[in-house]
Amino acid sequence: MNALARILEDFGSQPSPAAARLDAAQALREHSLPTRHDENWHYANLRALESIPRFLPEPSTDTARAPPMLPAHLPGFERLVYLDGRLDPQLSAAALAKLSAVNLRGATGTASPFETAGDGRFGLLARMFAPQPLAFQVRGTMALEVLSLISPEAGANYTELSLELEAGARLELIERSCAIPGTGPGLSGSVLGCSALSLQQHVGSQLMHTRLQQVAGNAVLYDTVSSRLAERASYQLRHLAAGGASTRSSVQVQLQGPGASVDVRALAAAQDAQYCDALYTILHEAPATRSHLVFRGIASERAHVACSADVQVTPGAPGSRVLQSLRGLIDGKGAEVNLRPRLTINTDDIQAAHGATTGRLDEDLLFYLLSRGLTPAGARSLLKWAFLSEILGALGPAPLRKAAESAVAARLSDAPAAELLQ
Amino acid sequence: MSIALLQIENLAVSVAGTPVLNGVSLEINAGEVHAIMGPNGSGKSTLAHVLAGRPGYEVTAGSARFDGMDLLALAPEERSRAGLFLGFQYPVEIPGVNNAYLLKAALNAARRHRGETDIDAFDFLTLVRAKMHTMHIDDALLARGVNEGFSGGEKKRNEILQMLVLEPRLAILDETDSGLDIDALKIVSQGINGLRSPERAVVLVTHYQRLLDHVVPDRVHVLARGRIVRSGGRELALELERRGYDWLLEAVPEVA
Repeated sequence: MNALARILEDFGSQPSPAAARLDAAQALREHSLPTRHDENWHYANLRALESIPRFLPEPSTDTARAPPMLPAHLPGFERLVYLDGRLDPQLSAAALAKLSAVNLRGATGTASPFETAGDGRFGLLARMFAPQPLAFQVRGTMALEVLSLISPEAGANYTELSLELEAGARLELIERSCAIPGTGPGLSGSVLGCSALSLQQHVGSQLMHTRLQQVAGNAVLYDTVSSRLAERASYQLRHLAAGGASTRSSVQVQLQGPGASVDVRALAAAQDAQYCDALYTILHEAPATRSHLVFRGIASERAHVACSADVQVTPGAPGSRVLQSLRGLIDGKGAEVNLRPRLTINTDDIQAAHGATTGRLDEDLLFYLLSRGLTPAGARSLLKWAFLSEILGALGPAPLRKAAESAVAARLSDAPAAELLQ
Repeated sequence: MSIALLQIENLAVSVAGTPVLNGVSLEINAGEVHAIMGPNGSGKSTLAHVLAGRPGYEVTAGSARFDGMDLLALAPEERSRAGLFLGFQYPVEIPGVNNAYLLKAALNAARRHRGETDIDAFDFLTLVRAKMHTMHIDDALLARGVNEGFSGGEKKRNEILQMLVLEPRLAILDETDSGLDIDALKIVSQGINGLRSPERAVVLVTHYQRLLDHVVPDRVHVLARGRIVRSGGRELALELERRGYDWLLEAVPEVA
């Protein structure tokens, strides 16, 4: 039985699911999961789905378990904590208290075209199974960390979160997916993590969004981000993938209002036989919109890194500006980096620049460093770190950057010198 | 009798199967400055890079000894730590690696090789700032990526700064004077002269006499068609300036 059939069978075994879940299941049944024949999924590791033993999330238990050791609290941030896909009300109490006044009571919308005909179909999967979908409105200024801790022994886990930024609101959002500290690698099978994040930004709102994936080696992650921006809204996304057996991120940003802008800096570091794949779709749908996308990926040993960047400028978006830079570094005989830049322009009056390069470490740079007495390993490590510095340097706050650097450093075949880490 | 700091004997080198150097022999003693001149394509840069250990060059015959060691048997980083410095004709840009980090890493690599401890951060900054002052380099460049966005002149001055910080026993400067205006040439020359000492030697690979007005060589060699065809004192450079290379090439066969 293929993965879709098993998903639907597991879904059918639930007693009386909510209407939104039934709609999502129906949409998935109609549109099916993507396959390698879908252009934007060619390099995704969809076979990893076959290794998931069971798609139903584990039922919640009353058994008290010791609270896990959490990463240090980021100063000024409220925190929502998910443990194996379930929101921990105690660890999230402060954030919930602040957010509860505007809680939309778990309302979920209908499936969007992105989720059905597009590349957001794993968002349907999250909607079908997420035990606690949450939706919030953000007013004023807020800093929120969404921490998802996944134990290597967990079953499938799902999260669904919708955030709506009111006009002029300013949100600093950090999403972290981590292995629960203190646990070892999974004994058998894979852990599925599937998340859907829906963002809606009203006029003039600002969102600074950082995503850091550093889950355990047996995790298979599919995450979906759908973002819509109104006039003069700005969205800054910093996205680091440095963990899991297989990850796929599908991000769609719709610049719907004049002057809306998005700035994406993404990094993927993979080693061993990891798969790390990302798709960034940016739709310029209004005049004078701006997008800037920078991706840097390193594949070591037998790892696969892929990034597709699909930027579309519609006829209704004159005066827009598009910048795109994708670079990949291959650092192993069996390693693979696939970059797919795509820019579709349907209006005359725009500025656009894009570039994509993939290769191994530059021999000239390597020799220069060796000629200054650095060891071959030290020189390689320095050049790799330099390659990633553009993304890592843009991260904040400092404790998060440190965590990100450590996570990335652990995925490089030559560890950087300690003084290079902040 | 003292042993020469660098002894090259009958060195032959090919690149991708094509002979470039065809029996170069040269001795350089500590305390000396040698200039290697020659027409384009004569093998000057090849000689500099082979001595520094750049991959892609095949030594087909001959030997090179540095301070008594078999230089050609050493890896590039071992040559550097042993005290050999190559100043690049086209210094590379390395965005993301700042100058200060590279200088410190290079200096500490050499110090460890000599059995010394890593330099203290304060001492390092004091040292580097003094050398930067000599080279008229702004302090702000320390925090920038290596040669990132530097002008041609700044890159060459940065090479000399690295040399002054590392204090190599043998500096091979590959066309360090190319692309420099008159003022920058004086600054670079001042830096090179600052390294001169009875324990060190300098090899200047150059096309032009003008550098030698500021850094006066003890010996001048003409490399043509893969071999040294004439050696002399400073007057040879002046003669080349007047007569060019043709009069020397007439008697030299093509490299086989």
